[in-house]
Amino acid sequence: MTPRERGQPRLFRLPVSRRRLRTDIDRELRFHIEGRIEELVAAGRLRADAEREVFERFGDLLTVRDECEEIDAMTHRRREFNEWRSALARDVRHALRGLIQRPGFSAVVITTLALGIGATTAIYTLLDAIVLRPLPYPNADRLVFIEHPVPGVETYTRWRMSVAGYFFFRKNSQALSNIAAYTRSEATLVSADGAERTRAAVVSDNFLGVMGIRPMLGRDFTAADTRPNASPVVMLGYDYWRQRFDADPRIVGKSINLGSTSHQVIGITPAGLHLPDYQVQVWRALELDPDAPAVNSHYLDAVARLAPGVTVAAAQAEAARLTSRLPEVFPGAYSKSFMSDSRFGVLVSPLRDIVIGGMSRTLWILLGAVSLVLLIACANVANLFLVRAESRRREIAIRSALGADRGHLAGHYLTESALLSLIGGALGVLLAYAAVRFLLVLNPPSVPRLAELSLGWRPVAVALAISLGTGVVLGLLPLTRLALGRGHIATLREGGRGQTASRGQRSARAALIVAQTALAVILLAAAGLMLRSFQRLRSVHPGLDASGLLTFEVALPWTRYGNRGGGPEGYLAAFRYYRELTSRLAAIPGVTAVSMTRSLPIKDGDMCALVFVETRGHGQTAPCLGVVIAAPGYFETMGIPVRGRTPTWADMEERTGGVVVSKAFADDMWPGEDALGKRLRPNGFAEPWYHVVGVTGDVLSHGLDQPPSKVVYYPLVPIAGAPLWSPPTRATIALRTRLDNPLALAPTARQVVTALDREVPVANVQTMETVVATSTARTTLAMFLLGIAGGMALILSAVGIYGVISYTVNQRRAEIGVRMALGAQARQVGRMVIGQSLRVAAAGIAIGLVGAVATTRVMQSLLFGVTPTDPVTLAGVTFVLVVIGVLASYAPARRATTVDPVEVLRRE
Amino acid sequence: MPPSPDLDLIRGTLDLLILKTLSWGPMHGLAVLRWVEQVTGQRLQITEGALYPALHRMEQKGWLEAEWSYTDRNREAKFYKLTAAGRKQLATELSKWSRYTEAVNLVITAQGVR
Repeated sequence: MTPRERGQPRLFRLPVSRRRLRTDIDRELRFHIEGRIEELVAAGRLRADAEREVFERFGDLLTVRDECEEIDAMTHRRREFNEWRSALARDVRHALRGLIQRPGFSAVVITTLALGIGATTAIYTLLDAIVLRPLPYPNADRLVFIEHPVPGVETYTRWRMSVAGYFFFRKNSQALSNIAAYTRSEATLVSADGAERTRAAVVSDNFLGVMGIRPMLGRDFTAADTRPNASPVVMLGYDYWRQRFDADPRIVGKSINLGSTSHQVIGITPAGLHLPDYQVQVWRALELDPDAPAVNSHYLDAVARLAPGVTVAAAQAEAARLTSRLPEVFPGAYSKSFMSDSRFGVLVSPLRDIVIGGMSRTLWILLGAVSLVLLIACANVANLFLVRAESRRREIAIRSALGADRGHLAGHYLTESALLSLIGGALGVLLAYAAVRFLLVLNPPSVPRLAELSLGWRPVAVALAISLGTGVVLGLLPLTRLALGRGHIATLREGGRGQTASRGQRSARAALIVAQTALAVILLAAAGLMLRSFQRLRSVHPGLDASGLLTFEVALPWTRYGNRGGGPEGYLAAFRYYRELTSRLAAIPGVTAVSMTRSLPIKDGDMCALVFVETRGHGQTAPCLGVVIAAPGYFETMGIPVRGRTPTWADMEERTGGVVVSKAFADDMWPGEDALGKRLRPNGFAEPWYHVVGVTGDVLSHGLDQPPSKVVYYPLVPIAGAPLWSPPTRATIALRTRLDNPLALAPTARQVVTALDREVPVANVQTMETVVATSTARTTLAMFLLGIAGGMALILSAVGIYGVISYTVNQRRAEIGVRMALGAQARQVGRMVIGQSLRVAAAGIAIGLVGAVATTRVMQSLLFGVTPTDPVTLAGVTFVLVVIGVLASYAPARRATTVDPVEVLRRE
Repeated sequence: MPPSPDLDLIRGTLDLLILKTLSWGPMHGLAVLRWVEQVTGQRLQITEGALYPALHRMEQKGWLEAEWSYTDRNREAKFYKLTAAGRKQLATELSKWSRYTEAVNLVITAQGVR
């Protein structure tokens, strides 16, 4: 043991076991007792008497021993902890010094890891918030959504619930403890400040109960509130109440003007309560009459809570049984032929699946992509560490020769790599946070549940785990040298001169590069496929001219415009309003055409209604096809070509019954015939008929990736005996302008609307181009994110290839020198280096292409117009990586050609 | 000055006695005991049951440092030595003790002022 100064901590301490502690105490106490006894014996006592007296005086020996042992054990633990802590602090200090001494290496490692971990954490944050976390309702995993697939009439949408079906299920279902109905809606709040559109939920009396929520203030809806002619009541959403009513609790009991009708405020809902993925500002009671005759009209969203212990599958089976009973219970609304022709079914699915939709798959694919980026980043860093380990052989040899044990060395290198990767991880989390904030600012409409998004603990924990894991693996790399341990002495004898890497090391690095290139190929193929899909999608002609179009929504007060009471009068109020509004808007300078529609293509799609066609005869089932109600001038404004003519304001007012149909509709109904003059009706096979006066070009109303809609464009005022739908109190106004920026018209248009009727609010002002772009938002987002991932993969791979080739050239200087001395040309040497790079790249590309074909299949649902094995994409990716392989080895090749053989040989 | 509540007479006195005894030089437990007995003429006896846990506890606190060594009669024993922290503690304990006794003295020697 080394002599030491007082107060200086021990440098070496023999490991002390618990057993050793006890022996020491026993020795100490035995010394004491024997000393005492000898004392007494020396004073002339008999040994036996002395022993008895000493033990008596001592008291309970065992207790004292145990007490001392406990104290010592604690002392020991504290000492060990302190030593461990100071060792760690020392290692961290050393590691930090090491990192600062090699700023280039540290910066590259930290940046690479930060990018990889940041990308992974960002996508995982999205996945966590959108897919993994339950919906924000108590026991949300017990909530299900009920809808009716009708493959016989519609392929891409499902019907919702009818009122009769709702009450039938609510009464007879045992598997569902309760069913609530709701619809998303909008309401106009009229106050002294003017009219304002609000997002409204219209819900059945038990909605809050089913969701497991109680009003924060006031009372819940009751069944009486949902009866026809009940006095109108409303609940305010928490956020809206705070923002619009200054969180005044006295508002409960007072009345507010909603849609020109006085509503009594009965309560405030708690913070965070909204419809699934719809931020609600006001809650209204849904008018539901259990005694009304059954109508085959499906407009209710139905959400239910599973009864305790019931699975979704059991609920589905019961719902199917109940649905099959509909014809016998409601023979008028659900005839047997309707059920069989439409193949009317029922689907009970977890509410979460409905809310998340296809986003789950997109996010999992993206997570896969960024994980590949992380792998590539790790491969790069591993390569750096391998090179580093090579140059550290000498250091390790010296340390081992001086007696540093393996554990100590391991601790040293682990601290270093853990420190690097933790710094990288921390930066990565910051990057992820910034990326998520950025996404929130962009607020892409294709992403559900963004309003609930926050950086949770789970992604941070995952990022931390990834960085620690990476750190441990990378830290152990230099020690593989140690484990292989072929003679430190040999290394020392070499004098650090012939630093040629071992064969194993070289092939390990080449394997890493091949793997990295293969991963990059997969990522780039995915990104390339998205890019091609995006191009295909954007090159699709929507059937209308989206440029130079401004659109906005208006909502007319139902009390004054929505009355459909007998005859055309109810419709005429809305008709006159739109005629006046469009003519006033058309007078704005720069406006070339104005019109109105109830459903804007691409954004709203089109409602479906049954169509009875005279020529198809009585017996055939009427299909449910698109219905658009549009004002005169619609086709001209939207840029949709028309053959024949279109109804004028006068035609509509006089109810001449002229309709316009789309080309797809005409081709479907009257193949090979002229559609003009043909007759059709929306409700039953009887007089009077609408007649076709024009055929329009096809419009992709449901989105660019959907087939063209088969549509009938009905006039604003229906002909007698065919008023199936209510007057269009909610509509989109479209303005065509010569201005470069249509949005410049918005303030003027708003003034015109307010001047005509101050209770009509303007909402969702946007250009038609924005509407089209929004519809491709999911593809754009996936392309954008996969593009970033692919770009990162490309850069990282290039850096990786460059690093390895460059290192090899340095290692082979002597060999190159000899070659050149023997007459090799500079060009040959350059070609040799580039060839080496290309061989590695080629192996990577080959493996990557196989991987890409195998994995991009999961992207099928995200693609449009390309197959996952698109040869153009794969060829492009191959080309890009070959170019990267050449570029990355160009600089090292140049360096190789400048090797001076004389100098190299002299140094050898 | 009022006596502080942390003046636990027995424990405080024991620590003080041990620290003061060890201030004369490193000793083993038995020697500490003998020293106290001799100096006080047997009037003050420390029991082994209190002494050893106290020594170990003071070692844990860093006031004492223990080392195995040999006695004059060449027997192996655990010697305790005062550390710098122990010296400081001794000073604190001493001043506490004198303040305590002073205060007690003031009370028991006070004259009635009725």
